[in-house]
Amino acid sequence: MTSPLLFRGRLLPRLVPYAFVAVPLAYMTLFVFGPLIQQVWMSFTDTRLMNPTAGDYIGLENYQDLFSDSQFYTSLNITIVYTILTVVIGVLVGTISAVALDRPFKGRAILRTVMLFGWAVPSVAATLVWLWIFNGQSGVASDITEALGLGRVPWLTSVDWALTSIMFVTIWQVAPFVMLVMMAALQSVPEEVREAARIDGADALNVFRNVTLPCIMPTMQVVALLVAVWSIRRFEVIYLLTGGGPIGSTSTLVVQLRLTAFEDFELGLASAYGVVGLILALLVASIHFLVERRRALVMLK
Amino acid sequence: MTLTRRTLLASATVAAMIAGAVAPAAAQDEVTLTIANTQWLDALRGEKLWASVKKFEESHPNIKLEQHTISRNEFNDRLITEMGARQGPDIIIAQDNLFFTLIGADFLIPLDDVTEGVENLNATNDNAVVDGTRYGIGWHRAVYALIFNKSILEKTGADLPTDVDGLIAAAKAANEATGAIGFTGRHSMNEFSPWSQDFLNWAYGYGVELVDDDGNITFDTPEMAQAFEAFKEVYGSGIMPIGDQMSTQRTRFKEQQVAFSIDNSGGSLNIATGGPLPGTDLGSAALPFPNPGAHQQIFLGVNVWSSEEEQAAAKEFLSWLISEEGQLSLRAASGPDALATDVPVTEEFVTANPWATTFAEMAESSRSTLIPGYEMETQSIMRPLMNGLEKVLLNAATTEDALSEAQAEIDADYSN
Repeated sequence: MTSPLLFRGRLLPRLVPYAFVAVPLAYMTLFVFGPLIQQVWMSFTDTRLMNPTAGDYIGLENYQDLFSDSQFYTSLNITIVYTILTVVIGVLVGTISAVALDRPFKGRAILRTVMLFGWAVPSVAATLVWLWIFNGQSGVASDITEALGLGRVPWLTSVDWALTSIMFVTIWQVAPFVMLVMMAALQSVPEEVREAARIDGADALNVFRNVTLPCIMPTMQVVALLVAVWSIRRFEVIYLLTGGGPIGSTSTLVVQLRLTAFEDFELGLASAYGVVGLILALLVASIHFLVERRRALVMLK
Repeated sequence: MTLTRRTLLASATVAAMIAGAVAPAAAQDEVTLTIANTQWLDALRGEKLWASVKKFEESHPNIKLEQHTISRNEFNDRLITEMGARQGPDIIIAQDNLFFTLIGADFLIPLDDVTEGVENLNATNDNAVVDGTRYGIGWHRAVYALIFNKSILEKTGADLPTDVDGLIAAAKAANEATGAIGFTGRHSMNEFSPWSQDFLNWAYGYGVELVDDDGNITFDTPEMAQAFEAFKEVYGSGIMPIGDQMSTQRTRFKEQQVAFSIDNSGGSLNIATGGPLPGTDLGSAALPFPNPGAHQQIFLGVNVWSSEEEQAAAKEFLSWLISEEGQLSLRAASGPDALATDVPVTEEFVTANPWATTFAEMAESSRSTLIPGYEMETQSIMRPLMNGLEKVLLNAATTEDALSEAQAEIDADYSN
């Protein structure tokens, strides 16, 4: 029998850590790395949605098609603008909210709950509510602008407003998450250091800039990375609100991917779109890790 | 008895063997067919349609029918994905543009043996024959007409419009007199597939032929330019609720908040059923264009990936559906839509829904939304045209430039 050897010897304790790693690794291989490798491979084939197992290798042809299509550059541009603005404004709004709610005051618990609403509500349900809010004929948003004397605004049907409206909804959903994480980070800022700064004569702004901000910066960076990656791959908000229109003005890479896969049935080309999105996400992650490494080096000095 | 690991393993193996031996025997007795149709989710109509097909089980107790429900918005994507993965429902009830995509992908089995010897199939079944092989059977043909709220029209005192200018004037008058929305219709790429079908009413209405005698696709024509301009005139006149999706617009019509709409018979039945607007208060008239409009055709097909047993049962179901019993059962739930055989609507239905007769008249001259010779690529071909129309509506291009661009794009891909 093998069990006495296994239990009495030192093999089992040695295997335990591997066993713990094996479970998530198996999960990741099955549901993340496997499909990812398949997607990258598919981008070099002429696979069609109708027959996804029968694509032939065509080299870089999909990428040639992609880079010669003006819509790709439009989508890439929209994705980058959407991602940057969502990250900057979302993290800013979330952090300011967290700082504002960090100190105790009357009604703080209620305000916290209300502010978490955007994050807690299921995305599709919330987006459908926003679809009504932005309705040109009877939406509340236009009622407000009309009451302010600005007239009714075609929030989702005008090239000038559609992307802004989508970003507004995204930030409404993202900022509460940022706020929640930043509130946790603020809890870890040592109160005695802040107190010392105050005794040294620093005002609230200086305390925040010189004590609080350096402490919460690593968390802020991680949260910015998460928001950036989510923004690159965000689909449901954009698809439900505008479907990528009007005139492709909100057609991000993911929306274009869906169109290529499900309306043109070109899974190979759609995979190439996916690979570009993946590279974008990896680029953002590498920037984060570079900054993190630099900070670690500075700390070591 | 002490339960050892070996005993447990042996017991589990025996149990699995017994289950494996018994399960196929049980399955042979009963076949379950899954049927996909966006209409199952329609308020009221969905229930009625389902009840009408469930009558099949009374005469075929060994075959059970189950709904494969997918919402309208994601129907095409999900169905194609499922069938691409060699799965999906056993029976597919889908609009012609999707149906032809499925035929092109060899996802549907031939059904010639189902219709063999059946003499009374009408013209709604003709389009489902490709290269001499039948792949589908007609479920519904939904024709378009101009529908209106009779009470609102009476209050305005306006005449029934027969052209686009008249429609704009009447819709504005209705809005001024009652506060109702003047006119509704799809107008956004958010609803690309159904909008492209709806727009063909305008195109056909102005005499557009999508293909010339040599089989080339013809977008850049004076007739198409007229259709673009007419649609833009209506879009920009302030009579439409810009941004509203069709489901919302139909609900508004049902709630008696809309004066006019261009809709098909299925949509009109939805509006006239189960809401504050009685069927007798819904009016219908010919489309306000010089020529007849379009129709949407829905077909039934059988999944190539279903088992032989399921395919045989599905064919039994289709045979029943085109029998007198099946057609009468379906007629009761189908409103004015044309069926696979000529089963007239009942007197009772016409009395409660006098608007239905116009749709029957329109069906005599309506045209398919599929592009002749390009049936399987219709959806893909329509995209540049609709992109062009969207640009014109949003003043991002002139009609001339938009049509020229759409034509160039289509020539690059499909020129003979």
